Parts: sequence; structure tokens; C-alpha cells
Amino acid sequence: MNINATLLAQAVVMIVFVAICWKYIYPPILEIMQERQKKISDGLEAAKKADDSLEEAKLAFDKEMDQAKAEAAEILKKANVRATKIVGDASLKAEVEAEKIMASATTTIENDTNKAKEELRQQMSDIIIDTTQKILGDEISTSKHDDILKKAAEDL
Amino acid sequence: MAKELTTQSYIEHHLTNLTCGQLKDGGWSCNPHDVENMTFWAFHVDSLFWSIFLGGLFLLLFKRAMPKGTAADSTPTGLQNFVEMSIEFVEDNVQSLFGSIKNTLIAPLALTVFVWILLMNLMDLIPVDFLPVLAGHVAYYFVGGPEHAWITSPESFYFKVVPTTDPNITLGMALAIFVLTIYYSISVKGIKAFAAELTLHPFGKWLMPVNFVLEMVNFIAKPISLGLRLFGNLYAGEMIFILIALMLFFSSTLIGFLGIGLHLVWALFHILIVALQAFIFMALTIAYLAMAHETEEH
Repeated sequence: MNINATLLAQAVVMIVFVAICWKYIYPPILEIMQERQKKISDGLEAAKKADDSLEEAKLAFDKEMDQAKAEAAEILKKANVRATKIVGDASLKAEVEAEKIMASATTTIENDTNKAKEELRQQMSDIIIDTTQKILGDEISTSKHDDILKKAAEDL
Repeated sequence: MAKELTTQSYIEHHLTNLTCGQLKDGGWSCNPHDVENMTFWAFHVDSLFWSIFLGGLFLLLFKRAMPKGTAADSTPTGLQNFVEMSIEFVEDNVQSLFGSIKNTLIAPLALTVFVWILLMNLMDLIPVDFLPVLAGHVAYYFVGGPEHAWITSPESFYFKVVPTTDPNITLGMALAIFVLTIYYSISVKGIKAFAAELTLHPFGKWLMPVNFVLEMVNFIAKPISLGLRLFGNLYAGEMIFILIALMLFFSSTLIGFLGIGLHLVWALFHILIVALQAFIFMALTIAYLAMAHETEEH
């Protein structure tokens, strides 16, 4: 093993190479790497933020949805109650009306019947008197047999 | 072939660097026979070539992976993924050892050290004879011949391809880190605190010289162990590859086949060492520099 000037030459060569690496090679590479690292971490952070806001939006959506559902149920319930009431009122009114109509109809019918009966009775008695007068001539006058006629009419 | 191929010459061939240097009489030579006569100013051309080539490859790869204007939000592909993985790995390690201390040099330094050493170590996985023989033929073709006394044949050309099996390379890197450690020790703590750290303990101020000797040993042992650990591991690995390769050349067919199997097993195991040693060198680099930044008394 012989030590000679190669040693010094190598030391100088090394210092030159290290200096070149230090000045021209290393910094740009490191810069690019750090820049990319920053970009990646920024990107990850942004993704995390987006995730969070999505979660928030989902929660808000669920809340709104629940509220809307509750409101809808409330409205439906109210409508049902109202409808039931309306139907109930209507049927009650209708029944009363029907009864009223029925009653008035009954009265009218009775009245008409009575009227008809009276008329019939009157006509009957007239017909009888007429007929009897025709048969008996003047023997029987209306005035003389009024009582009998009246009785007959009542019997009819 | 100039000389007969023996076990010894084969191993020697693989462990000898292509050396160019100043001779003691003042001239310059690349002849391996002159190595003994060279002064300190000699260079292992092969180690330095591969070291610079692989370091350049590292810089080019990392520059190409993310050209200017690469959008931060585009999907990273292929090479960019590898580069980002390496940087994240280094950043994690720096973070765990350095904590809150701010120093923009540490991470690029650790990255350079890790990838560069990894690439240099990986040269060990290329079959031991492949590149030396190729380089030998190329060199012989272009500059060989009788007029060049030392390139008499492709085999006489030495070419080591794993820079980290050369102690000059590993200790050179350790030296650079040592210089950085001293620089940061002084600039962060101040020269006074740094001197105090080296002289005032473990025994207090009355035994300053003893303290200094002890601390100096501790201080200098760090870069030396850092460099030698890497060298030792890779040198041993390379050595085993060479020995396994010898089984193919010098023995019976049966041992030859055994050698192929062993080569595979050792290569697989060596991948672990290659990566582990690169990692250890990087981790210790960060740790030593972190120590240089520690201002608290202990």
C-alpha cells in the first residue's frame, strides 16, 4: 500500500464534486420535492375540508328532511280532523234537513188529503142531493131535509 | 504474452495501479518498473479516472433526472423516482443525526458521498478481468509497441477498476471530510472552544499536554479509520473475487465450475457489503460533522 499524491488529488476532486452538488444539483431537486410535498398536503387538507362540509350538508339535509316530514304529518293530521268534522257537520245538517222536508211533506200530504176528502164529501152530498131531487122531484126540499142530508154527509 | 502467467503474477497484476509520477531524478514516467523510483508526486491514473468518471456520472444522473422546469405536480417517473428516493434517504439520515442544526452543506455532502462510493464499490461486481483486459488491449493498440518499453503486451498494462480498493482514494475522501470537520469546528465553536475541547479534558488544565496527545489520537483516528474501513472491506472483497477467478484459470474443470458458483455466491453477498460500506461512510460523515457542530461542553 503506497500512499502518494493520489490522496490529495482525490481530496480535491471530492471537494469539487461536493461543491457542485451543493450549489447546482441538490437545491433544485429538494425545492421541487418540497413544493410537491406542500401541494400534496394542501390537496389532502382540501379533501378533508370537503369531506367535512359534505358531512355537514348531509346533517343539515337530514334535519330539514325530518322537519319537513314532521310538518307534513302535522298538516295531514289537521286536514283529517277538519275533514271528519266537515263530513260530520254535513251529515247532521242533512239529517235535520231531511227530517224537515219529511215533516213538511207529511203536513202537505195530510192537508191535501183532508182538502180532497172535504171536496169529495161536498161533491158527494151535492151529487146525492141532485140525484135525490131529480128522483123525488120537489118533495124533498133542501131546506126540509137538511138535517138528514147533513147526517148522511157526516156518515160518509 | 511477455511473461508466464502464474498465480502470483495474476494477483500482482490485479493489485497494481497504473501509476504516473515524478521520478526522483526529476522526470515523469508512467512505466510500472519506475514506480519504486517515484517521489510522493505520483498519481494512480486508473483510480482517479474511475473516481472522476463515476463522480461525474453521479452529477450527470442527478442533473438529468430533474431538468430545469420540472413541474412539481407532474408524476415522477423512472430516474426521478430513484433520485428522490436517494435524497429522501439522505435527508432522513441527516435529520436523525443532525437534528435541529442548520447546515445546507451536510445533505448534499452526504448524498455525494453515498452515491459516489456506492458507484465506485459497484465496480467491484464487474468481473475482475473484464475491464483491465479491455483497457490493456486498447492501450496496446494505441500506444503500445517496442518504442514504449513498458506496454510490451496488453497484459503488461495495469488497470485497477475499483477506486475504493485504493487506500489513496478512501483516505483522500476521509481527508476532505477531516478538513471540513476542522473548518466547521472552528467556525461554529470558535478557535478557543475548539482548542479547549482538544486540551482541557479528560484530565483538566494541569495536564494539558497529556490531554492534547490523547485527544489528538482520538481526533486523527476518526478520518483514518473512516478511510481504512472502506478500503479494507472493498480490498478484501476484491481479493476474494481475484482468488475465485484463479480457480477458473489454474485448476481442474470441477474446481472451475465450483469457482463459477462461488463467484455468484460471493457477488450476491458482496452487493450487501457494497451498499453497507457506502452507507456507513455516509453515516459517519454526517456524525463527524454533527460532532463538529456540537457546542456544549462534555
